[in-house]
Amino acid sequence: MTMEAKFRFRLALVLVAAFSALAGSNSNQDLQIINAERRIDLTSHIVKVYLTLQVENTGESPASEVLLAFAPVQAECLSLVKAQVATGKRKKPHHPIDVKPVEVPNAPNGAKLFSISLLKPLNPAETVTLEVLYILTHTLKPFPAEISQSESQLVYFHDTALILSPYHIKKQTTFIKTPTKRIESFTVVDPSNHANNEIKYGPYDSRPPYSFSPVVVHLENNNPFSVVEELVREIEISHWGSLQITEHYTLVHAGARHKGVFSRVEYQSRQAFAGSYSFKNLLARLPPRVHSVYYRDEIGNISSSRLRTSPQKSELELEPRYPLFGGWKATFIIGYGLPLEDFLFESLDGTRYLNFTFGCPFTDTVVDKLIIKVILPEGSQDPHAITPFPVEERRETSYSYLDIVGRTVVVLEKKNVVPEMNTAFQVYYKFNPLFQLAEPLMLVFVFFLGFMACVTYLNTDLSIRKQ
Amino acid sequence: MAQSVKPVTSPVPIAWYPTLAVIMLAIGLTVTASFFIYEATASRKSRSLFKELTTGAVASVFLGFGSLFLLLACGVYV
Repeated sequence: MTMEAKFRFRLALVLVAAFSALAGSNSNQDLQIINAERRIDLTSHIVKVYLTLQVENTGESPASEVLLAFAPVQAECLSLVKAQVATGKRKKPHHPIDVKPVEVPNAPNGAKLFSISLLKPLNPAETVTLEVLYILTHTLKPFPAEISQSESQLVYFHDTALILSPYHIKKQTTFIKTPTKRIESFTVVDPSNHANNEIKYGPYDSRPPYSFSPVVVHLENNNPFSVVEELVREIEISHWGSLQITEHYTLVHAGARHKGVFSRVEYQSRQAFAGSYSFKNLLARLPPRVHSVYYRDEIGNISSSRLRTSPQKSELELEPRYPLFGGWKATFIIGYGLPLEDFLFESLDGTRYLNFTFGCPFTDTVVDKLIIKVILPEGSQDPHAITPFPVEERRETSYSYLDIVGRTVVVLEKKNVVPEMNTAFQVYYKFNPLFQLAEPLMLVFVFFLGFMACVTYLNTDLSIRKQ
Repeated sequence: MAQSVKPVTSPVPIAWYPTLAVIMLAIGLTVTASFFIYEATASRKSRSLFKELTTGAVASVFLGFGSLFLLLACGVYV
């Protein structure tokens, strides 16, 4: 409890600081939010927040952007922010809108702001409904931080009952969905209630900009906290008809640390109670028509995996060598081949491009550091990558079979990747088809050199005696 | 979109790789054998350099492509 008290005290300090900063720099906001609804989904270790904002322009001039505010602690865990204008009809295609971080020097207490640029400016007295989805990772903190095998995992979730926003919010409600009915405690901010596996905060009326009220929810979450600390994906293109993918994983259970001894007998006999927070299998969704799949580690092949293929998708279910408890790690390698024609295309001007899925194929898994290496065939020129999100990009050279100058490698690096980022990215490059003959001609040349050596040897007279 | 881009495929269908490897290596080895038979039977005086070179070139073309297809058929995509 002392920890919680300390935390509250710190939050109170933050609050005071926030308001004092706000008093000095209240920017003239011409927008206000009529109605805000926030649904926080805590059923997995990846926290998804669905925010519906009804924004009204109360100013004189049209507004082209809407700002979202995040507390600095949350901004660090923020993985993805997506926004779209609600059209009302489900059938209508939604147009995603650009969301990018903005630097506002006078934001109270370092609140991080994100700007949603509207497709068409919002005229005075008009309203627009925005649907925002943002995903937070590593926000659920296990408490107690160490548990034994038979205990259930409890986590803390810190947030604010009032939506942090640079605008005046007329009415707002927050729903928090928990994985089970078991909720140890939650901060009461009237009106708030708890029914089944949902906590409701609100509705709250008329709150000034940047107002917030910290809440702590202590809940049970036994879902697998599967985190890949580092994932290196190598995608090797061969113009002879194959795409070879090798993925190096460092998997960790990021939940409450395991305390005491691990009893295999107890784990096997009473799975429902003993080790309910551990996980022993993972599901990877691979592209269809996958072939030559392997799953191994430093020791050798791991036989506990199953592959199910269908024309639409392939599913690889694999078990690490041991069940993973909190803090336990497993390293392994997955490799597979894919037909080239499904992923490599040539545009009219002769530029070739690879169209492949970004992210990790595992479901419900966070990747702390993702490195994608696209190994282009030898002789490729001017490579450039087009990704749906900003990534770090650099070049390397790798050597493989029958290489002389080495293959160009496009390295893409991204931190904090969630399954929602599994969208397509492209790598464009130029390639002269004649270069494809380099490899066979090299082999032909080597054989020919051998024959020439024979001919030279047999035609040379090495004898000393004159004939 | 569908008209402007076309998928890139291998120049030779993948299913032909094992057959091609066997046929080309067989031809290549036969020509190699004839090369060495010629080298061993013809005397130094009667040998023609042109015939030696052409036989060697033909054999190396078949052996070169044959070994490439052998690599590809084995799953070593170069």
